[in-house]
Amino acid sequence: MRMLDPAVRSVWMIKYALFTLVVTLIVGGYEITQLFSSNDRFLPVGSYTGLVIAVGALISLLIPFLRYKYWRYELLDEELYLERGILNRVRTVVPLRRIQHLDVSQDILEREFDLGKLIVHTAGTRSADVVLPGLAYDEAEQFRDELRNYITEDAL
Amino acid sequence: MASLDDFSFPRSLHPLTLVQQFLRSLPALLILLAPTILRGSAGETRLTLTFAFMYAVVVVPLIIIRYLRFRYWIEDDEVVIHSGVFTRRKRNIPMDRIQNIEIQQPLLPRLMGMAQVRLDTAGSSSSEGQLEYVALEEAQAIRKIVREFQRAETRRKVSETVHSLSPHTPVSAADLMRGTINGTAESDAEDVQEEDEEERVLLFSMPSQRVLLMGAYRFSFLFIVLILSAVQYLQLDPEELADLLFRGPFRDAADVVAESPWLYGSMVVFTAAFLSWLTGIITTFVQYFGFHLWLDDDKLQRKHGLLTLQEGTIPLHRVQTLILRSNPLMEWRRWFRLELQTMGYDVDEQGYHVVVPFAQKDTIAELSPEIRPIQWPESFHSVSPITIRRHFIRYTVLLLIVVLPIAQFWSAAYWGLTLIPFLALFAWLHYLNHGYATDGNWLFIRRGVVRRYTFALPLDKMQVFMTSASIFQRRLGLKSLSVDTAGSRSVNYPEIVDVPEECAEVLLKELTHRFRHYFEMEEEPSKRNRLLTDAADVAAAQNTHGPLSWLHSRQRVDSSANDTVVHAEDKNGKDSAELAHPPDRHVEQ
Repeated sequence: MRMLDPAVRSVWMIKYALFTLVVTLIVGGYEITQLFSSNDRFLPVGSYTGLVIAVGALISLLIPFLRYKYWRYELLDEELYLERGILNRVRTVVPLRRIQHLDVSQDILEREFDLGKLIVHTAGTRSADVVLPGLAYDEAEQFRDELRNYITEDAL
Repeated sequence: MASLDDFSFPRSLHPLTLVQQFLRSLPALLILLAPTILRGSAGETRLTLTFAFMYAVVVVPLIIIRYLRFRYWIEDDEVVIHSGVFTRRKRNIPMDRIQNIEIQQPLLPRLMGMAQVRLDTAGSSSSEGQLEYVALEEAQAIRKIVREFQRAETRRKVSETVHSLSPHTPVSAADLMRGTINGTAESDAEDVQEEDEEERVLLFSMPSQRVLLMGAYRFSFLFIVLILSAVQYLQLDPEELADLLFRGPFRDAADVVAESPWLYGSMVVFTAAFLSWLTGIITTFVQYFGFHLWLDDDKLQRKHGLLTLQEGTIPLHRVQTLILRSNPLMEWRRWFRLELQTMGYDVDEQGYHVVVPFAQKDTIAELSPEIRPIQWPESFHSVSPITIRRHFIRYTVLLLIVVLPIAQFWSAAYWGLTLIPFLALFAWLHYLNHGYATDGNWLFIRRGVVRRYTFALPLDKMQVFMTSASIFQRRLGLKSLSVDTAGSRSVNYPEIVDVPEECAEVLLKELTHRFRHYFEMEEEPSKRNRLLTDAADVAAAQNTHGPLSWLHSRQRVDSSANDTVVHAEDKNGKDSAELAHPPDRHVEQ
């Protein structure tokens, strides 16, 4: 069983941190407007912002490591096998002949770390797109080319 | 009947389309105007006039221009449609890509002898070409032309395959087998078949009494919408309405009822139930009146409707899932309804097609093998009984989330907690109605308490296999297993929730194994040797997981099996080649 590229932890961490930052700005902005109102406050000013920062920091530090820890994938003879999830552990078996088309994508953060995502599209409904994140970009492209051989012309 | 030549130059729609479109735009105008007409003041009258003016200047010319701009014709191998007022659209639909031709006749066009033609192709969520409206004979002629083209195309492909059969040409075994086997079946049918309309076999039809009976088992809450919108748009005064309804002796009865809250409440519930039952009967009757289902070679055809006559075609090889539906009331009298899920192209029914709206279970069991070789299971394997506890806790938490906040303001809400025993009952019913079964190339999953679904998933249409275990499930050693199929999204999907971990794992392994095996058999018989080791692997895995005999009710892969055994154990004793092939016996177009 293969694991993801360890660098993906940093990407996730930065993403969680950025999200925390946005929420902090919103909540902080709200609290600043409250500074000028004369209402009696239940909690001291800045406590919500503090809470958001604390929870955000915890999530950003913890979740990427856990996510990474539980992510596994393997290319079997005729299936792509994925295992993931911290609270809800999910195993997915995608028969290779069911692949409709393949995408490799890379966002701005992933580009910095030279990582990529492999997106496997099937004709299914609920889990039609299976995403395999955190592959080295070259590897993702290689993987895609490898999988491409299996695309069959099965009629649906 | 019109021939191909008639369609080779641009044609307009039926002229009466203008009348129909005009009539169809009237209700919108009336709804806009209704409030002001009924109780208009001076200011509102001006508004009314403005609307009417805009209508005359904008809507009516639009209808006319749209009609004038619309042209369609049939070229060598495609249907061409030019349309559009502001944005011109030129659309070419290759005939061999057309999957479904639907002819619909709503009431008014029907009276004028017109029909709507919809051309559906694969891969688009909405109808790709729509002719609104053409003469009925013309619609039928178009359908015939497209069908004949597709037949000829199929024949051509088959003969090409046969030509390429010379020993030096590299042809994959898969092509070869598919081509020859399906091809012969196809051309045999071709010789016999002259007129497709007459060759089709009637599979199922419903007399009017049956449609009424079906309605009696359904409840529709459409009447609430009707009443509310009537009150809203016509600005009726509810009290005036009540005075109008309750006069004379009814007045006294109404007063008595209004005295007691219990009587009042139960009267409301009773009336609502009665009205919804009545609406259920009416809507069902309107929708399913004169239901007919035919089998035409490799397609199902159905026709139904009282006001709007609907005709549709479902190519059998597009069928992804069979769904057997009922509710407790229906199930009590063994009534069921059969739906097919197809690759999503018919938007009207979100890819669901009702093929048998209402029939006894035996009838459906007899009829469904015409769609695919299937035998509905008599019994299902239960999931773990721990699921009762889990569902009870889940329902209770939900109830508390609703009740507790309300109770802060209105203490009577605590009475809601008396529902808790019923939640336990409901959780138990959920357990009783949830189960799965495997049989040859099929996986069956049953779920639902009030709306009951039995999904039948054929091996060759499965897409993705998944198991999942939440943090709570892991503590209890449970897992959920789901199989994804193509088709449309829906609220209810096939998933087996809360099976013991090792059962889920073995079931997953068994399914993926059978899946692989299915296609190996279809494609390359030379791979059979490899299969042997696979079969042994699975058998070994099963032995380590204990005696899971429930998995292999009929077609089990024995550790001592050679491939003949694996094949021959189909329940119907059908020959192995046929089993290994997808039941769609025809060439894909």
